[in-house]
Amino acid sequence: MSGKLALTCAALCAALLAAIPGAFARGSAEPGITPTSILLGGTAPLSGSASAFSSVARGADAYFKYVNAKGGVNGRTIEYKYLDDAYNPAQTVQATRQLVESDKVFAIFNSVGTEHNQAIRDYLNQLQVPQLFPATGSTSFGRDYAKYPWTTAGFQPSYQAEGWIYGKYLARTKAGAKVAVIFQNDDYGKDLLAGLKRGLQRSAVKIVAAEPYEVTASDVQSQIAKLKASGADTLMIFATPRFAIQSLVYVNKLGWKPLVFNNIVSSASSIMTLASEGGKSRSVEGALSGVYLKDATDPKWANDPGIKLYRQILKTYAPGANWKDVYHGYGMAVAYTMVEVLKAAGKNPTRASVMAQTAKLNIASNPFLLPGILVRTTATERFAIEQAQLERWEKGKWVAFGGLWGYRA
Amino acid sequence: MPVAFAFSELGQQVVSGLASGSIYASLALALVIIHRSTGVINFAQGEMAMFATYIAWTLDVNHGFPFWGAFFATLAISFLGGVVIQRTVIAPIQRSSVLTIVIVTIGLILILNGLATWIWTGEVRAFDSPFPTRTVDIGGVAVSLQDVGTFGVVLAFVIALWAFFRFTKVGLALRASALNPDASRLVGVRVGWMLALGWGLAAMLGAVAGMLAAPTVFLDPQMMQAILLYAFAAAILGGIDSPVGAIVGGLLLGVGLNLIGTYAKLDVWFIHIDLTAAELRLPLALLIILAVLLVRPAGLLGRPEVKRV
Amino acid sequence: MSQRLPSRTASIVALFVAATAIVLILPGFVSEFRAQQLAYVGIYLIALTGLNILTGYTGQISLGHGAFMAVGAYTTAILISDQGLSIGGHTFANDLKDVWTIPLAALVAGIAGFLFGVPALRLSGLYLALATFAIAVSAPAVFKKFETFTGGGTGINLFGIKGLTGSISGVHVFGHKLAFYDWLYYLSWTIALVLLAVAWFLLRGRIGRAFRAVRDSESAAASSGVSLATYKTLAFAISAAYAGVAGALYAIANTYVNPDTFPITLSIFLLVGVVVGGLGTLSGLIVGAVLVQFLPLWSQEVSKSPGAPAVVYGVILIAIMLALPGGVAGLLRRVRPLARRLYTRPR
Repeated sequence: MSGKLALTCAALCAALLAAIPGAFARGSAEPGITPTSILLGGTAPLSGSASAFSSVARGADAYFKYVNAKGGVNGRTIEYKYLDDAYNPAQTVQATRQLVESDKVFAIFNSVGTEHNQAIRDYLNQLQVPQLFPATGSTSFGRDYAKYPWTTAGFQPSYQAEGWIYGKYLARTKAGAKVAVIFQNDDYGKDLLAGLKRGLQRSAVKIVAAEPYEVTASDVQSQIAKLKASGADTLMIFATPRFAIQSLVYVNKLGWKPLVFNNIVSSASSIMTLASEGGKSRSVEGALSGVYLKDATDPKWANDPGIKLYRQILKTYAPGANWKDVYHGYGMAVAYTMVEVLKAAGKNPTRASVMAQTAKLNIASNPFLLPGILVRTTATERFAIEQAQLERWEKGKWVAFGGLWGYRA
Repeated sequence: MPVAFAFSELGQQVVSGLASGSIYASLALALVIIHRSTGVINFAQGEMAMFATYIAWTLDVNHGFPFWGAFFATLAISFLGGVVIQRTVIAPIQRSSVLTIVIVTIGLILILNGLATWIWTGEVRAFDSPFPTRTVDIGGVAVSLQDVGTFGVVLAFVIALWAFFRFTKVGLALRASALNPDASRLVGVRVGWMLALGWGLAAMLGAVAGMLAAPTVFLDPQMMQAILLYAFAAAILGGIDSPVGAIVGGLLLGVGLNLIGTYAKLDVWFIHIDLTAAELRLPLALLIILAVLLVRPAGLLGRPEVKRV
Repeated sequence: MSQRLPSRTASIVALFVAATAIVLILPGFVSEFRAQQLAYVGIYLIALTGLNILTGYTGQISLGHGAFMAVGAYTTAILISDQGLSIGGHTFANDLKDVWTIPLAALVAGIAGFLFGVPALRLSGLYLALATFAIAVSAPAVFKKFETFTGGGTGINLFGIKGLTGSISGVHVFGHKLAFYDWLYYLSWTIALVLLAVAWFLLRGRIGRAFRAVRDSESAAASSGVSLATYKTLAFAISAAYAGVAGALYAIANTYVNPDTFPITLSIFLLVGVVVGGLGTLSGLIVGAVLVQFLPLWSQEVSKSPGAPAVVYGVILIAIMLALPGGVAGLLRRVRPLARRLYTRPR
């Protein structure tokens, strides 16, 4: 009686578990590519505290849909499947395995996060799956191309390049300045700080205080107070939007008026407007930042064809998406580049041929980047974007000045 | 040990500690209320506060309510919301194990956070403060009038709640329902509705906390998560059943963490202690929770609980 | 009464043997990727078994088992990598083979559990939940602080390290060559089944009875001579050791550890898995483990718009709590007499 029960249970269990869809045969053809489609995969923090970054995936997806509507690339539509990793590298690993082995994507594209891309880098390189344009500015991508030939650099000026530009500018224009830095205590913040230090080498400018903060901080009042007490006259904000806004607000609250540099990640006009507290803040006026993307909320681009296209695409292919969210713009800019790479790879792209193309980029026509910015890579120089322009916040908007700065390693 | 001491720096850290501490205290108040009136530790308190703040924001920005109109409307809506949540989701399991209640409040966190992200997206938004944003300079220390106002509001609520629990019949009925539901029923207290009232009050207080914090930390779906942890620390430190304890705990915590974060560095001979690291701020707060729970679970101002065997 | 007991044991043993058989042959029927997912189910099963011993059988709530998993994972990662432990400039304990680190991970995590169990004696109910919650939230920050051991925010990458079986050359077991994912699957499920059996033995004996006594009434247990201190700390130590094993396997499966891989949500989902699976029994735990692995994925299938999967997950959670307070095991308990009736021939 009980034996029968046990047997029935066992049979039921077996049936249940074996019902899980299974087996596949590895074809000899390149995975993820058919005569009519290419499948790209990636991960993004669709949930959790970093979910603001998920817009990079949505922006890219909208652009691909637009390209597909116009006939695709060399007769193929681009499908872009992105999965949630809740900004947890362990989930990035699992989701990427799913994309590569279950969904059989052609390449991993636009995955978000520094540690997250590092966690999957070895795996992808071992399986020879391209890891294209990881959404991170970490210098290790682009620097380590010899060790990781299947991984490209990110699609933004690397964080070190950015910090370096700020440093060089300061060294040139404000000798004797005393710099205080607030930075996020992870790779991103530390990378920016390292770049700044390199840019300030052999100059008369000194970093007098550097305060880290954790993403788990409830606020950064204490750090800003410490930085003010250091007597610095220049402040570098290497923080993500929430904390950048808070920093600017506290600086104003404390009655401190340093020269402020805000990093690119947090410099969207909408964020600056929030930080300026409706124009009441004094500390925001005259703040500096770098820029390489056209900021859709900046009135000077209102009639620009690239921005008009951006808004059009979002409206049609991502209804409900907030066009003011600058990460959508980033997504489109990188998707544009992806499409150019695929075009250049010809009628029958393979993983290897696509990777080869990413090492010889030379695109000047990206409508979403500032005019004049060149997306360029060579065999020995893999950082795709190494230029930025400086801009100053004046009376409620960014005013770019000077020419394009080019990073020299 | 040479220490270059700037009193204005010390003063500044204390003042900003009081400011952060007031915000911790305001959410801690909600935690205290819910525990005092229902015996439950509500892990979802922060998310409820965040959601209420978004409602206030929507009323203010999208529907053109004047600030105070939106404020009081939000208080009313959150009160109702708290009551509804208690009646629908908590009441069926009130008598279940502690664990079930914990899981349900966790479910609430997921739902509220997800809903807020879905409705309002993760974009950071500004929130108006009813207080002037001017800063006053006192002896080299910048004191923001906004922070003073926040502190004042929290203090007012603390006093009101203390009086409510101490002097009113409803307050007594609330305390009784939490301590001994059966005996309370016997003397005619509608325990079910008392519990709902407790949740409504706590939700309302949470809304106040959210609306006080938002002008400073700015509004996004994650805004209350870190604050919740510090609020727990503050509530436990002050005494999980004591409204006065909540504000005392909050202020102590805010100032204490700032001071540790600035000065707790010792580099003498072979002694190298550095507690000023940013990574340690949260663990220190949580260490306080552990220490208090172990040494004096009733907190600074609570009354030690005697369990009858 | 004495007649029923042996046959019940017999049916449990039969079930166990059947389960082992299924586990053995399953990889032949599913894709490698699916095998890898099932390996994670096995890993969660180990953690859930441990947590159940603590929460279900001894009545101590823990919202912090993700932290114990992290301890086990970091132990394994440090020992496998060439980082090892460097004290006074000497590096030792590095480059170990991954399987040998698993008992060590269990030991270290078990000690951590014991160390926490001692002060936790004074806490109960919601306060214990709060204290363990505090541990789980602060653990990532603490791991980040001790950069020299843990690699800080960057973490430790195990891919391609010679200590990791199968990462460089293939896996050879008893002369058969195994794919890496199948190896993961067999490793975690072998350990899971063994540990499940160990738990079963433990719980039906004197220790199990003492645990249940502590859960049901501490004062009654104490007055019957059951030392609360001994058994509560023992429960913490054992459950933490289980979590440590799960963590070690987690590190091996992910080939990567960093503080962000053990967020508070992990601890929460573990507790959810145990409660849904059914406290105080071992039968429903497999459902709990499946839930922990797959529910987040299924929630995404319902809707990808921002925030929606979390709402789905939360609603399902609350619905299960309201409908099935006893968890899946409670459901099974109600089903069993029905099934028995189906099989009884009317006499």
